[in-house]
Amino acid sequence: MTLIVSLAIGVLFAAGSYLLLQHDFIKVVGGTILIAHSVNLFIMVSGLSRGTEPIYPLGDGARVSDPLVQAMVLTAIVISFGVTALLISLIYRVYVSHRSVDIEHLSDFEERLVQLEEQQVPPEPGIGVLEDREVDEDDESDQPDRDGIQRDERATE
Amino acid sequence: MNNDMARQAARLLLLPTWMVAFAILIKGYSDSGDGFSGGVIAALGVIMQYVTFGTAVAEKLRPVRYARQIALTGLLLALATAFTPVLRGQSIMTHFPGPNEHATHIGSLELTTPFLFDIGVFLLVMGVCVGVFDLLAHATRRDRS
Amino acid sequence: MLIVLGLGILWFSGVCAAILDGRRRWVGFASVAAILAAIAALVALGMNVRDEGPQTMTAGGWPSGVGIGLTADMLGVTFALLSLGVLLAALTFEVFNGVRSQSFPALVLLLGAGLTGVFLTADAFNFYVFFEIAMISSYILTGYGDEGRQLRSATIFVIVNLLGSAFFLMGIAALYHQTGRLDMAGIAARVALLNPTSVILSAVLIFTAFGIKLGIFPFHFWLPAVYTGTRPAVAAILSGAVANIGTYGLLRWGGGMLPDELHTAAPMFFALGVISILYGSLQALSRRSVAEVVAYSSIGQVGFILVALAIGGPAGFAAAVLFAIVNAVNKTLLFLSENLRGWLTGFAFAVGAFSVAGVPPAGGFLGKAGLFQVAAQDDNWIVIALVVVGSVLSFIYMFQIYQRRFWTPEVAESANAVASPVSVRAVVVVLAIITLLIGFWPEPVLWVSEQAGQSFATTRP
Repeated sequence: MTLIVSLAIGVLFAAGSYLLLQHDFIKVVGGTILIAHSVNLFIMVSGLSRGTEPIYPLGDGARVSDPLVQAMVLTAIVISFGVTALLISLIYRVYVSHRSVDIEHLSDFEERLVQLEEQQVPPEPGIGVLEDREVDEDDESDQPDRDGIQRDERATE
Repeated sequence: MNNDMARQAARLLLLPTWMVAFAILIKGYSDSGDGFSGGVIAALGVIMQYVTFGTAVAEKLRPVRYARQIALTGLLLALATAFTPVLRGQSIMTHFPGPNEHATHIGSLELTTPFLFDIGVFLLVMGVCVGVFDLLAHATRRDRS
Repeated sequence: MLIVLGLGILWFSGVCAAILDGRRRWVGFASVAAILAAIAALVALGMNVRDEGPQTMTAGGWPSGVGIGLTADMLGVTFALLSLGVLLAALTFEVFNGVRSQSFPALVLLLGAGLTGVFLTADAFNFYVFFEIAMISSYILTGYGDEGRQLRSATIFVIVNLLGSAFFLMGIAALYHQTGRLDMAGIAARVALLNPTSVILSAVLIFTAFGIKLGIFPFHFWLPAVYTGTRPAVAAILSGAVANIGTYGLLRWGGGMLPDELHTAAPMFFALGVISILYGSLQALSRRSVAEVVAYSSIGQVGFILVALAIGGPAGFAAAVLFAIVNAVNKTLLFLSENLRGWLTGFAFAVGAFSVAGVPPAGGFLGKAGLFQVAAQDDNWIVIALVVVGSVLSFIYMFQIYQRRFWTPEVAESANAVASPVSVRAVVVVLAIITLLIGFWPEPVLWVSEQAGQSFATTRP
């Protein structure tokens, strides 16, 4: 019995890991669900024993199945349910902002942001050279590109 | 399947679903049942309204408008049940009629503080499920418009 | 009753803050007051522990091995106070800066409740439950700010830590299957009787989970992306409060419950620590923005903690706790001041930079000195050389980023071109003063870490 359950845990974990590596965010969430379920099954199997329900009154010398494991699995299921709900809300939020649920698009957006930021940075002097111009802390240094980024972000929303 | 039939069924089934959910909550002490599963089934009744009637109609239901308050009331109830014994000097989550003591019965249900805790869990789970589904339902609505 | 007082305050006030709108000033200040009250309760608990020894409470009034136990010993109280202090600083910073989301104070309070529960529990599965409460709050906090960068950070953070939690749960289930107990004392007693070959697998799973949390070398890939993408207050919370779960977990589970496995794995810990230090420092040398440098520096600093754990024994554990305390204060200071301007912030950042580099009188040198001392006792020249190299590298990259940020004139600004209010900068300056205080008056911190390191009996041969 333990062998069959262990095989099931292995298959679930393998399927979950495969899905975790996909591009589509929804498939990634499906992968996390499968992995969470494989772990729940693992908890169940750690206390596997044949017996009646662990509710009083018990018969004399009756073998009882392990209630501790069942309590742990209930808790683990609720926790994974909560985190899955959170992940799905995150998918929704990503979709609203970027109009796609592809994780690659999210990374590309981040890279574009970084590139735009880097382009505004003026060519810096080397580490050892300290510019000793009179520093006037001007708040209104011209920052058209910063606004450009803002406009870009809003356009994708 | 006719849409009208689905709507009739959904309208009729809302309260019985909540009855079943409450029954699962109550029978958890002598049979299989739990506050968590009761809460999920109660939320399922509300979600059924979303599916058959659409977001615009279903979001006016009371449990949806007050989902956050329901969930936080449930959480406060559960926390109060857990922490009140501390104020009296006992350990956290000590339940009021202790083991092997006599408890007041309504039928086969014992009125004990674990039951109060379970009601808290029921409300919390129902509020959370309905709230999350409401958020996601608005996603599809914005998408269509 | 004192054990659960802090936990109860944080939990109830978190729920109340969730009902209210967190963007209002009074809600923010009320949340700060709640954290202060919880810190006061924990200090009282700490004094109780110092006078009378570890305090215990078993939930439900059940006998000690049966019910879920809560134990307050010096190690747990130290970490709880450290994490709550970081949360206090970050929440105050954000309240003064203007909270943007109505659930921010509630989330910080619930994170505090989860962290307090993690550090004060004596039951393995209860540890997991509080760990998850804290992590779910931090998942939502990572997305605070709602810009694209935060969404990407949140996505990465959630998925990686979900995997970590799955591994941790598997480790707990495996330990339960082998020992039949869930309370930490019972597990520790029974693990000693088991065949070490079978326990080593559970130990590996648990170590992987805490390694992911800390961000040490093989599991560090998520750390720079998340720490640079989140807002400064949240980055401070993640590096100063949430990362403590990793250190505490390695100490409690490794030193407390699986000491033989920790001893067996010490060479691997040492190797991973060395690689983390070198990798983090070398990467930090080549980065340009403050957040990236501090993020890679985090990888380096937790490498030191791992080296201290590899040395083991009460002295090694004390050095690890000392380093964790100093590192949390440093990282909070550095992350909170990453976007601010002005000479006050420059002073604070300089203190933080010197602290990371290990230059007195900023407090960071304590951690390195502790490690130095432990290594010198064992004639461990490799560790001494490592500490020196690590300090030199961190001095270079910290000085580099300080110069780039505060000495050269700034053309590109962060999101707000308006100078931040004085109260915000005051928070950062207070943190810098605390860092200097630790440097000038180290006795309390040294005593606390020594007590914490002795929390478990040494089984090291």
